[in-house]
Amino acid sequence: MPVAAIAAALIVPLGLDGDGYAIRVIALVFLFAALGQSWNIVGGLANQISLGHAAFFGIGAYTSTRLLIDFGLSPWFGMLAGGVLGGAAAALISLPTMRLRGHYFALATLAFGEVMRVVANAWTGLTGGPVGISVPYSAPGLWMLSFKGTLPFYYLNLTALVGVTAVFVGIRRSAFGYRLQAVREDANAAEVVGVDTARIKIQAAVISGALTAMLGTLYAQMNFFFDPDAVFGAAPISVRIALIAIVGGIGTAAGPILGAILIVSLEEIANVLLSGQVAGLSNLVYGLILIAVIMIQPHGLVALGPVFRRPWRVPAVDAAK
Amino acid sequence: MSDNDAADRPPRLDRRQLVGALGGAVAAPFLIRRAQAASAVNIGVILPLSGANAQFGVNSRNGIQLVADQINAAGGIKSLGSARVELVVADATSTPTQAATVAQRMITQNRVAAILGAFASSLTLAISEVTERRDIPLLTMSFSDQITERGFKSVFQVVAKASVIGAAQFDGTLAIAKKAGTDLKQVAILFEDTAYGTSQAGGLRKAAAKAGVQVVVDEGYPLGITDVTPLINKLRASGAQAVFPVSYLNDSLQIIRVMRQQGLTFPAIGGAAGYVIPDFKSGLGEYAEGILSISPANWDQDPALTDTFSKRYGYFMVHEALEHAVCLDVLVQAMEKAGKSDPASLREVLHGTRFEGGWTKVMTGGAVQFDAAGLNTLAEPLMVQWRGKEPVTVWPERFAKAPPIWKA
Repeated sequence: MPVAAIAAALIVPLGLDGDGYAIRVIALVFLFAALGQSWNIVGGLANQISLGHAAFFGIGAYTSTRLLIDFGLSPWFGMLAGGVLGGAAAALISLPTMRLRGHYFALATLAFGEVMRVVANAWTGLTGGPVGISVPYSAPGLWMLSFKGTLPFYYLNLTALVGVTAVFVGIRRSAFGYRLQAVREDANAAEVVGVDTARIKIQAAVISGALTAMLGTLYAQMNFFFDPDAVFGAAPISVRIALIAIVGGIGTAAGPILGAILIVSLEEIANVLLSGQVAGLSNLVYGLILIAVIMIQPHGLVALGPVFRRPWRVPAVDAAK
Repeated sequence: MSDNDAADRPPRLDRRQLVGALGGAVAAPFLIRRAQAASAVNIGVILPLSGANAQFGVNSRNGIQLVADQINAAGGIKSLGSARVELVVADATSTPTQAATVAQRMITQNRVAAILGAFASSLTLAISEVTERRDIPLLTMSFSDQITERGFKSVFQVVAKASVIGAAQFDGTLAIAKKAGTDLKQVAILFEDTAYGTSQAGGLRKAAAKAGVQVVVDEGYPLGITDVTPLINKLRASGAQAVFPVSYLNDSLQIIRVMRQQGLTFPAIGGAAGYVIPDFKSGLGEYAEGILSISPANWDQDPALTDTFSKRYGYFMVHEALEHAVCLDVLVQAMEKAGKSDPASLREVLHGTRFEGGWTKVMTGGAVQFDAAGLNTLAEPLMVQWRGKEPVTVWPERFAKAPPIWKA
């Protein structure tokens, strides 16, 4: 099934306008699914609900853009540098917060994201401040991650999603992943059987933070312009990423993908159909549908039944035969 | 084995149907588009219709709608075979990403000939990154200096830029104070930390330095500040003779109200946005009287035109409505002249024409002319002062409709 899904994703653009709106929306779905997936490494496997992932996302976006503006450095290097900084920031924030549990951890990370937003707004020399920063337009090409159209980002984001999902699945199946899940089930019991819970949580946070930062670079290159609120904002990034994973199905590989499909397309449909009418109606309808989804199926879309669940099980059943 | 297969089959078919349905849903807009008649020109309108700036977005939409209806009632765009102006309106929300996505949608789905918007500078900047790459003209009344300073060819700014507006706000204040016999030595600047606020504060700061006036308070505050008392206390202790609070609506209401309630009566000079809309008066009542503000344009420069707005919507034509009206009028004039609506011809005409008549009469200079960067070189900011229910132009003298009042 995953292979079929990827194949379908590769073929879909052929039928659409390569610079079109549909391509952009699907590309955004991929990007946010990838973000949800990297969040899933800490949020899903270890159940550390982070509401501050925008911090890493913004670090990635600003790092690569700054390097590109000041040194003309290819965003690929910027992405690596952003990943390193994002991972370092994740380690830094993890040290004091990883011993916090539940709501306290969520609140601490939320505050961290907001601090980053305020700092970015104030540090005008580095970030351009609230005026925002434009990504310089280089000659189109893969090396400078600069394209006139959206289609290349469709494939780049798809690759990113496949990559992050592979990392997630790899971790989940590894001994490291089992330790994380042990922490999720019962942190005290995990300690008793010899799992260094704080340490593995920090490791997971670093991987998650680094991946999120790298996706920030992709976002910056795709959008050409961003301001502190767009990349460090709680509502547009932090909460949205967590929401995508939670609505889709926390801790599962399919969850963030389903969540991103639902949330990103729901926002778009609400905007297309309703935003020209009564001001604010589209946001209201979007919110109501989300509330309905969570109330009807608190375990996420993956739990909606065999239609969605079976595809991910079939290979295992076949292997057993 | 075969039993299992049979059991597996129905859901698989369902899934395929699902994919088919989704594919159909994706394709539908394209097919519908093909079927539409071509006797209308689609013009995209992207505005913040929800969130903190919704009020300004709605005002702007009203202005654009008014002009579109006037043009259509007068027979549409004649050189395009009396084509109707068809507005495609969408909410930019308050995130630049969403604004850019909306722009992309309008260009590819609605085949818009040009885009108007998006009031807030950060939204306009994000949209311009999309329109520039697709060569679609973007006409805006956002102030930010960045808009026309990036060497873009398809962006058109009908108002003066933020740094010019900030400088005029300061120079106008000095001139008005001097006329009243006050020598301005110490001022305070309060600004919200948004794109708009910081760039206007930057202009003010430079103007103050140039005029040799000391800035005794220079404070940024977050949009939507809940308690302005600490700011006002600082103001009281500073010995400022006048204060420049640059902000959108709610914050400016709070700042002025708390100032006046605490007995600080020295002049406050606003930076457009929330200072020059009807809600300022209804929110502040008598405290609004005599408040000065800079404004990129004002309704009283041609009341005959702007009265059509106040008759239809029941309030005076606020500057964002007016400037958006001018954007649409200029665009339609360009289409009339080009006889085409393709982006390349439009861009050429927009760059090389002095637009006169119609709604351009309400702008300073009575016309609109864009330079190579897309900036309207004829736009000059105005100082306005609240008199009763409306702000009246008081400076520069050649545009003034009433003498300014300065209470030291």
